[in-house]
Amino acid sequence: MIGFRKFASQEWAGLAAIFVLGSALAAFLSPSFLTEYNIYVMLRSASVELLVAFSQMIVLAIGQMNLAVGALGGLVAVLFGAMLQLLGLPLPLAILIALLIGIVGGFINGLLTTRTGINGFIITLATGSAFTGINLGLTESRPFHGIPVEFVALGDSRWSFVPALLWPPLIVAPLLAIFLYRTKSGRKLLAVGGNMRAAELSGISANAMIIVAHAISGGLAGLAAVLAVSQLGAAQPEIGSTWLLISFAGPIIGGTALAGGYVSILGAMLAVLVIALIENMLVLMKVDPYWVRFALGGLVLVTVGVNRWRAHQMGRN
Amino acid sequence: MSTTDLAPTPRARFEIAPQLGLAIIVGLLVVVFAWKQPGFVSSFNLFGMGRSLAVDVTVGFSQMAVLATGGMNLAVGSIGVCSVMFAGYLMQDLGLPVPLAFLLAVMLGGLLGWLNGFTIVRSGVNAFIVTLASANLYSGAMLILTKAQPINVLPPIVSSIGSYEILGYASPALVVALVIGLALYVFYRYSVPGKETLMAGANARAASMSGIAVSRSIILAHVLSGVLAGVAGLMVVARVGAAMPAVGGEDWLLPSFLAPVLGGTALAGGFVSVVGTFLGAMLVTVIRSGLLFVNISNFWLQLFLGLFLLAAVLAQRYRGLFRMRLT
Amino acid sequence: MRLSIVNVSKTFPSVKALDDVSMEFAPGEVHALMGENGAGKSTLLKIVTGLYRPDAGLLKLDGELVEFFSPRDALAAGIGAVHQERNLVPRFSVGENILLEHPPGRRGFIDYGAIYDRARVLLELLDPGIDVRAEVATLSVAQMQIVEIAKALSLNARVLLLDEPTASITDHEAEALFKVIARLKAEGVAIVFVSHKLDEVLTISDRVTVLRDGRVMASGEAIAEMSRRRLVSLMIGREERIADVAGGAKQGKVALELREIATSYGHSGINLRLHEAEILGLYGLVGAGRSELARSIIGDGRITGGAICVGDRPARIRNPNEALRRHRIGYVSEDRKGEGLVLSHSIVSNIAVTIWRRIATRLWLIPPVVERNAVTPQVQRLAIKSFSLDQTVDTLSGGNQQKVSLAKWLAAKTDILLIDEPTVGIDIKTKVELHELIAQIARDGAAVLLISSDMAEMITLADRILVMHNFAVVGEFVNDRIYENGSEAIMSAIHAAEKDRKHLHDRAAIA
Ligand SMILES: Nc1ncnc2c1ncn2[C@@H]1O[C@H](COP(=O)(O)OP(=O)(O)OP(=O)(O)O)[C@@H](O)[C@H]1O
Ligand SMILES: [Mg+2]
Repeated sequence: MIGFRKFASQEWAGLAAIFVLGSALAAFLSPSFLTEYNIYVMLRSASVELLVAFSQMIVLAIGQMNLAVGALGGLVAVLFGAMLQLLGLPLPLAILIALLIGIVGGFINGLLTTRTGINGFIITLATGSAFTGINLGLTESRPFHGIPVEFVALGDSRWSFVPALLWPPLIVAPLLAIFLYRTKSGRKLLAVGGNMRAAELSGISANAMIIVAHAISGGLAGLAAVLAVSQLGAAQPEIGSTWLLISFAGPIIGGTALAGGYVSILGAMLAVLVIALIENMLVLMKVDPYWVRFALGGLVLVTVGVNRWRAHQMGRN
Repeated sequence: MSTTDLAPTPRARFEIAPQLGLAIIVGLLVVVFAWKQPGFVSSFNLFGMGRSLAVDVTVGFSQMAVLATGGMNLAVGSIGVCSVMFAGYLMQDLGLPVPLAFLLAVMLGGLLGWLNGFTIVRSGVNAFIVTLASANLYSGAMLILTKAQPINVLPPIVSSIGSYEILGYASPALVVALVIGLALYVFYRYSVPGKETLMAGANARAASMSGIAVSRSIILAHVLSGVLAGVAGLMVVARVGAAMPAVGGEDWLLPSFLAPVLGGTALAGGFVSVVGTFLGAMLVTVIRSGLLFVNISNFWLQLFLGLFLLAAVLAQRYRGLFRMRLT
Repeated sequence: MRLSIVNVSKTFPSVKALDDVSMEFAPGEVHALMGENGAGKSTLLKIVTGLYRPDAGLLKLDGELVEFFSPRDALAAGIGAVHQERNLVPRFSVGENILLEHPPGRRGFIDYGAIYDRARVLLELLDPGIDVRAEVATLSVAQMQIVEIAKALSLNARVLLLDEPTASITDHEAEALFKVIARLKAEGVAIVFVSHKLDEVLTISDRVTVLRDGRVMASGEAIAEMSRRRLVSLMIGREERIADVAGGAKQGKVALELREIATSYGHSGINLRLHEAEILGLYGLVGAGRSELARSIIGDGRITGGAICVGDRPARIRNPNEALRRHRIGYVSEDRKGEGLVLSHSIVSNIAVTIWRRIATRLWLIPPVVERNAVTPQVQRLAIKSFSLDQTVDTLSGGNQQKVSLAKWLAAKTDILLIDEPTVGIDIKTKVELHELIAQIARDGAAVLLISSDMAEMITLADRILVMHNFAVVGEFVNDRIYENGSEAIMSAIHAAEKDRKHLHDRAAIA
């Protein structure tokens, strides 16, 4: 029972339970749920969302928010498309440059917040608007379709029920975990989020860590955008426009503290999976797509509420 | 964010100086645009700007009401659109008289705001999260119920309110916004619940220990925010002459924060600037309208808006005001 | 390392915190830095640690000119500090906090095993009871203070600055700290020690520098040649005064009565009777459950058993709001920055908050003139030093902040006042003033429950003293205001309770 106690005391335990029970329910309600193909579809849509969640999570870790995750993702997506279609760059080079653009975008966010001392929320609200502006101005809302076929095929390929697109987030997650839990730089970053003044008094440069966090966030948003292009088969200017909710819902449901200083990577991953599961269930049951938003909102509320309540109970014991 | 000077300047809770800077920026921009394009200050354009200014101001006030408590309301747009569609439904399907429909629609806004506040207080979950979720709940419910169809057979009086011109260039909506502003100014500066809300926003623990019912203050702030979002929605209904499901939503997110934040309201709570919010909304409206006037393509508009806002925020930065971290 | 401060000045927007001060901290010496609240002690330490830049003047280490642009620079130069405010990362473990400056590890990776080992070694010196793996957020204020001290020790600094390190720890822990200080001194560390507790300053320091209003009144004088009297008059500009607390008030009716109270904090069987015009002292060691009891009374913790009577009527108080409005009970919190004050708001608002509802017009509006008129007498009575009533409270010195947090309850004119540790971190002059004020409040008819860990304060002020230990009342006696008698009675009550507990424990072990 001690093992169970320990398990139940983890933030993500409830989510794991929800995921398992939800899957059982889905399998019961719809015979097509447990098919290889359906699970592949579900995991493929979760791939991009996982990276989006990580992108937000790293900025939450320093106690800030990044409202430009989606806008930056959209910008990277269309620039990536333009590099392939208009400039005809080789794919690996284009991917590399796309990631660099993401990192630079995040770096700009970080630099602006630290240089001006203005809250990251405001800065990213404004830069987000600018990123979207560049995106729309360049594309006039038209997608780039000239994506190499092999890259599009990669987005569709799978091994059994595991989509190829799931690999990037699966590789990023442990790297992030090692960074945040095991390396000195990662600990400094979390220390800045937990108590900026204390961190500075301990000789940590808060500004440097804030910039690092934003740059990583930008890089992850860029990676998510590249994946989205592969998944959709075209560089759509709308990529990223729906990322806001999921970017917060993933980490927050997963137990990451909004105030900074604490993240749960496993929690964020499970939260994204639960959300993907619910979206998938609603699709399978042919529910009006408007219900998806409604259900998502409800889910966020219920899980966060339950987590709070559980933390409260534990605190009492 | 430099460590060398953490000393905050002593400041009164209501300070005019930063707003003065903002007013000067707005004035300069108006002069520049008018000089480039004289049509910018034509009564026709002034009327149009006033009408959209009214919406931006009210949306900004709606956000400001919650910022005062140190929270955020991401559901401003969703509440707005719910009020919009509800008003349309009451007028078209139930045939209720316009004033009654408007009143009920605003009350729905207040009710949805109350739901937010109640959930926040009861669950202890952060306002940001609760309203992020409820924004989706409300929008989702609205779309499910309306099937995303606009309601456009409204009594003609609705659109004639929207196009009525006071003295040739002022819209009734702007007058409403001004009256709301005045009321809010008195509320936060002189009234018991207003002052208590600010205290609760600055330090909930200390406020509660001083005998303030903090939960009640938070709920009240959300009700106020919901009511104002509803009013803003109705301003749009009057302007368009129809109830559109595409009103509000995430389109209001940016303006709702920009107006108060440009105006010097602290994200950390405990301090609001009503005058500043008005000026902040003015800045946004002037930039948007001015850019359209100098023939910036619609696609690039957003970029310039973003850059201008960034510049404005930077220019507006007075020590300490924006420095507070979210908690 | 010898640290010299040469002609340093620092001006804040409202005050000149340091005015051309010079002093020198020598290796192998404990140098006390003394002065009233707001004299500029912390400001000086913040300049030395690179947190503030001086407006003028310079710093020298062993004669070499140094300039610090950030805390990093000061750390690198071998200067360590425990600041007056707590500065820990709440979600990190104790060990990681202690070694935050230099976490052990290789090639950028952290070695947690080494962290815990090294942190444990440091904590052994101060308080072996603290678990190095515990999250800091779960610690008590006193434990956090210990962790901060351990953190400063981990630096192996050549100059160690301690800003009121003993303000919130027990005497026992302070003893441990003094032993460590003695050892560091022997190793040649220059130690700067800030404290308002005269006795401990006189025992452990070698030299003393006194600041008054940002100016140096005595620079590095040997403690051996300094009398307590002279020290005090240097600090406050005149002789020490004994608080005039002449009792003599007749006890009134019972104002507050607790019968067999149990709380969610773990109190049980608490009986207490508080009279009008009486100061009832609640003494106990840190962690005895006194503040928690006060909180439960005003509804900030749950009462799980027993009955509370206010006046002669039974009362159920669910929150501080009801306590104030319905039962006229106020609570002056020990945590003045967190709970007592809204730091970013004005003095007026902070004081008037308790009476806004009372002075509002029928439309619930508060005319600013009325608000000011209600506040002014309190500000004058407490002699709160400020240049404007609209000044925000965070720019006041600690002592003046404490006065503001008391003033709002005076303005509220509550019948019952629970006062928790009113003079922690308060200078001796203000302390006397506060003591007189509290005595006056009681003389005016209010019932005062005074919580304090300062035995001298308790014996000066209280009419009766209840001794608490382990969330239970273990003794009660009438205080004759003679220190020896009072301290004797208190200590024997605590010891008896300890013995009882051991006895029960042993019996349980045998059974
Ligand atoms: N950040 C600040 N902004 C404005 N004034 C300040 C600031 N910090 C300190 N002061 C003022 O500078 C003076 C010196 O303050 P300081 O904190 O150094 O006093 P102190 O001697 O440490 O007092 P205490 O014993 O209460 O800790 C006080 O008048 C205080 O009000
Ligand atoms: Mg100090």
